[in-house]
Amino acid sequence: MKLKFRAPLATAITIAVGLVVLSGYFIPAAASLRFISLRVGMVLAAVALLVGVFNLLSVHFRKIADKDSKGGYSFILVVALLTTLGIGIYDMYKAYAFGNPNFEWTNWIFTYIQRPVETSLMAVMTVSLAYSATYLLRRKMNYLAIGFFFVVLLVLLGTISLSVISFPILEDIRSWIVHVPAVGGARGLLLGIALGTIATGLRIIMGSDRPYEG
Amino acid sequence: MTITGVIGLLIVASFFGLMIIFNIVRNNSTEVNLRTIPAYTKLKRAIGLAVEDGKQIHVSLGRGGVTSPQSASAFVGLSMLERVIRIASAGDLPPVATTGNAALSILAQDTIRGTSGEIDLKKTKVSSAGGGLVGLTPFSYAVGTMSAIRSDTVSANILAGWYGNEIIWLTTAGERQSSFTMAGTAHLPAQAVMYSSVEEPLIGEELFAGGAYLDAGSMHEASLNAQDVFRWVLVGGILIGILLKLAGFGQLIQNLLVGTP
Repeated sequence: MKLKFRAPLATAITIAVGLVVLSGYFIPAAASLRFISLRVGMVLAAVALLVGVFNLLSVHFRKIADKDSKGGYSFILVVALLTTLGIGIYDMYKAYAFGNPNFEWTNWIFTYIQRPVETSLMAVMTVSLAYSATYLLRRKMNYLAIGFFFVVLLVLLGTISLSVISFPILEDIRSWIVHVPAVGGARGLLLGIALGTIATGLRIIMGSDRPYEG
Repeated sequence: MTITGVIGLLIVASFFGLMIIFNIVRNNSTEVNLRTIPAYTKLKRAIGLAVEDGKQIHVSLGRGGVTSPQSASAFVGLSMLERVIRIASAGDLPPVATTGNAALSILAQDTIRGTSGEIDLKKTKVSSAGGGLVGLTPFSYAVGTMSAIRSDTVSANILAGWYGNEIIWLTTAGERQSSFTMAGTAHLPAQAVMYSSVEEPLIGEELFAGGAYLDAGSMHEASLNAQDVFRWVLVGGILIGILLKLAGFGQLIQNLLVGTP
């Protein structure tokens, strides 16, 4: 007979930790327990990162081995990951062995590889966002979409800071849109999201929602 | 404890009480009274079509952490993943999940294993369901997820979790594949991006209603009822606050809330 202890145990731990963290926000005496629980959670999340990286590596090793899939990108990913990991470990060794914590090579990778790549992607994303705003009118031609498009246009024109084509009235309109209707709408949405978040949290604490093998 | 703390405790306790009460009422009634959200109606149809065509549903859980305020939308995504696995269990291929956070990835794999075990899904199906980490930074996650969206076996995409503006690439990739794409997040700028780029956006708290619309249980519907009650309480509170401020009690209220005399 196979007894299943895992599910009720996981649910009990989740409910107990959830209650401790929640009460820590309201009851000062439980605040220290909340901090301990959150710290343990953070350490576990860091360990999960390692597990995730191993998972990522295993998936891409499988893709490289699979003759049918395009393994070229996976090969580049694995080489880049292992190289960065090796350089990071070397920099750490230098920092602890020679008291030289400047992480020179790791910083070089971030400054000359990671940052330019991310900046280029950011530029591509800006074009994608502009394209998407124009595409909206082709897909949804209704009052809301037309309003959305023209508000975006007004805010963009009001944000442009070119001395030759400066329109103070557009800057005033932009300022009003950003500070009055946008803030009001955002607060309304945030209140709804806050209520949804409370409901989701309480369902997990009650054991009604179990986002784990439980 | 400050008055803000007492109010917070009262809100959570009464929310909890209301959920229990509405759940008892729901269990004694067969009537389901939910307003129509077109995204969920179309999602159910898309799942049915995917099962008929032998295609996969892709569930993207975003890159929100589980120890941060972003976790709520990630947990809703996990709840949707569980429901989608159950609904699509008759199909040839299981849903595929992608995440951009390591802890969330473990929870996704756990959800896939747990749900598949409960409904006795074949082991071959479970192993191809994924749930893996595709990238750790926003852009790498988006680029990694795009390859899942572009897969020929995927016919519908559910983007439910925490995203930034990079969601634009995921939604446009879905549109280009002509596959059904539904997206929801708790991040406001990403909601604006979604509105302009996705066929079925979930705006505001609509994402958190996912469980109730996918028949995840009476507690989900009860929590929607509790949210409705609190929405009206908040509307009343805001109106009373405006009136008190107009009557010159603004400073007094502020002092009470921060706990100073």
